[in-house]
Amino acid sequence: MKASPLFITAVKSPSKRVRASAALMGAGQLMSRQWVKGFAYLGALAGFIAYMAVTGARDIVGFFTLGTVEADPWLGTGGDDSIIMLLRGLLTFILVIGMVLLYRSNLRDILETERRGGAPEGFVKSLGNYLNNKFYVAALALPVIGVLVFNVIPIVFMILIAFTNYGDDIVPPKLVDWTGFDSFRRVLTLGGIKETFFRILGWNVVWAVLSTAINYFGGLALALLLNKKCVKFKRFWRMFPILAYAVPGFITLLAFKFLFSYGGPINHYITAAGHSAVGFLDIDAGLKARIIGIFVNAWISVPTSMLLATGILSNLNPNLYEAASIDGAGPWQQFKKITLPFVVFSTTPVLITNFIGNFNNFGIFYFLRGGLYMDGYFLASDTDLLINWLYNLSIDNNYYSIGAAVSLIIFLITSAVSLSVYVRSNAYRREDSYR
Amino acid sequence: MRWRKTLDWMGAHLALLIVCFLFFFPVLWLVLASFSATGSIYDLKGFFPSSFSLSGYKTLFGDTTMYDYPNWLKNTLFVAVGSSILGTVLVILTAYTISRFQFRSRKMLMKSTLVLSMFPSFMGMTAVYLLMVNFGLINRLWALVLIYASGAPMGYLVQKGYFDSISSSVFEAARLDGASNFRIFRSIALPLSKPIIVYTALTQFAWPWSDFILPNLLLKNKDKWTVAVGLMHLDETQFTRFAAGSIFIAVPIVILYFCLSGFLVTGVTAGAAKE
Repeated sequence: MKASPLFITAVKSPSKRVRASAALMGAGQLMSRQWVKGFAYLGALAGFIAYMAVTGARDIVGFFTLGTVEADPWLGTGGDDSIIMLLRGLLTFILVIGMVLLYRSNLRDILETERRGGAPEGFVKSLGNYLNNKFYVAALALPVIGVLVFNVIPIVFMILIAFTNYGDDIVPPKLVDWTGFDSFRRVLTLGGIKETFFRILGWNVVWAVLSTAINYFGGLALALLLNKKCVKFKRFWRMFPILAYAVPGFITLLAFKFLFSYGGPINHYITAAGHSAVGFLDIDAGLKARIIGIFVNAWISVPTSMLLATGILSNLNPNLYEAASIDGAGPWQQFKKITLPFVVFSTTPVLITNFIGNFNNFGIFYFLRGGLYMDGYFLASDTDLLINWLYNLSIDNNYYSIGAAVSLIIFLITSAVSLSVYVRSNAYRREDSYR
Repeated sequence: MRWRKTLDWMGAHLALLIVCFLFFFPVLWLVLASFSATGSIYDLKGFFPSSFSLSGYKTLFGDTTMYDYPNWLKNTLFVAVGSSILGTVLVILTAYTISRFQFRSRKMLMKSTLVLSMFPSFMGMTAVYLLMVNFGLINRLWALVLIYASGAPMGYLVQKGYFDSISSSVFEAARLDGASNFRIFRSIALPLSKPIIVYTALTQFAWPWSDFILPNLLLKNKDKWTVAVGLMHLDETQFTRFAAGSIFIAVPIVILYFCLSGFLVTGVTAGAAKE
């Protein structure tokens, strides 16, 4: 790590002040009469030590034990709340990391002062300079803290949960324990859960590949169609997909659910024609529900990829086509040899994002047929994707640790897919022929 | 050759008609249904209502004992406007800084956002839910604002692409004139980035405006519901109310998108540009 060189430079420094700061954060700054800065560092250190003494040390122990005293509602004795202990431990660890970073900034600061020849700056001036030279620190502080609190900590928390037995009937006041890879083992081997997992995974992959392809090529086809020379009033035609794009997704989804419901218009015409109503989205709908899902997803996503393809196509050099048609290439060959490689080449990153988005597409089946539990599935139905199963497991049924393990498996799959495509598109990138 | 061109023309327009019908029909269906004189989907008898009236909209805003739409609208507006303002500030700051400055942890930050975005969004949300329950922060609208806004910087790539495209000579000239970094940001970068700010504010507004997962998780009390959560709770007998409520919330967004459709192509395409 980089920490040791900085630390070693500081300790070996000929300057007394630098060594003082290495031993006691802020001491060197005080010695060079940078009062505010020195006391700020010293105060932070004191606060940290006080915190560790009062609760921090206990929190870290609690992080490893996850509580030892179980509450007894009959006797009315309070016990340990494992989840709160896990969280407090996590926060303490983050505080320790923050302290290490602060300590390093203290070393860097005193080394910088020495390098300038020990002439101390006033605090206000130094703060002003700092904000200007390190504008990025000031600008990124808020965003980074926000992401840390609302994204990083929750994700780390969930990763930790995956290695406990939290969930099902083991929720506070019962004590939660670390169980290592037990949750993963249960997902991958336990009867019932295992079958469900592999069934859903299989459908999920099929769904992601199919719907990504349909949306992508549907959008491309639509863009090409609108780009044709013979099509007039392009703005007018383009209005309709943009309208579909602008309608909020949940409204579209709920509307389609009503469209296919028992009372909906489609069933009205079916019954009016003398047939019995079809449960398009019922528990035994089977393939029908899956096809409807793919169609509805295309309805929602094709406009976006049309917009994207339109933008990309406008960058395509029209001379290429001219040259090709002089060489005698037909429209299909032109598409295959010029348009497709160019578009795919410039949209590989989007293709990955779309694939992952579809792999984790929660809304479609949550709205169309959420909350159905089928025989042969553990708390899921045959259209549910892993993300829907995750929801059923952790939000509706409190299987937190299993849900967290499934999340991590999803993460592994999606990151493996993206990584492999990124690597391949890197090889692609050397080919500059289309630029 | 001539007949071939005609055939081509006819084929293209037939395809366009079919596609536009597919996109337009469900929307038209919903719009007309919102003007239905009766409330339930069973009374429609087919796609379109036989008699039209404004009663759907009247009950939507008048009959609020069971379904308090005006209140849902108020909550949604609060959350969407709050997250739009806060989120735009955070995204623009992040994108500008990462685009214009070279610093030690820059690559690390970019890589970690990439890794973070690989985690299923639900994973973080389950944790947020658990944490909010544990800390008794369920049913707070401002908690939603904070969550939306602080997730926003993760999607900084579009905005970074925009800042990358501004020639650095403008900034260099200002720097030579002795302008501080903050001043350069305020008086040069911000005025130049109006289009992308509008685009960001719009997308940051549209996301909470139409999200249902987070509010559904975190808002359990009826009086805190957003429109999305409320509309989800309407069943087939309340179909006209649903249609009216949907149209009412969709129209502003649709108008916004149409006014800004030029930006949209640039925005979507800029997001596709490679590093």
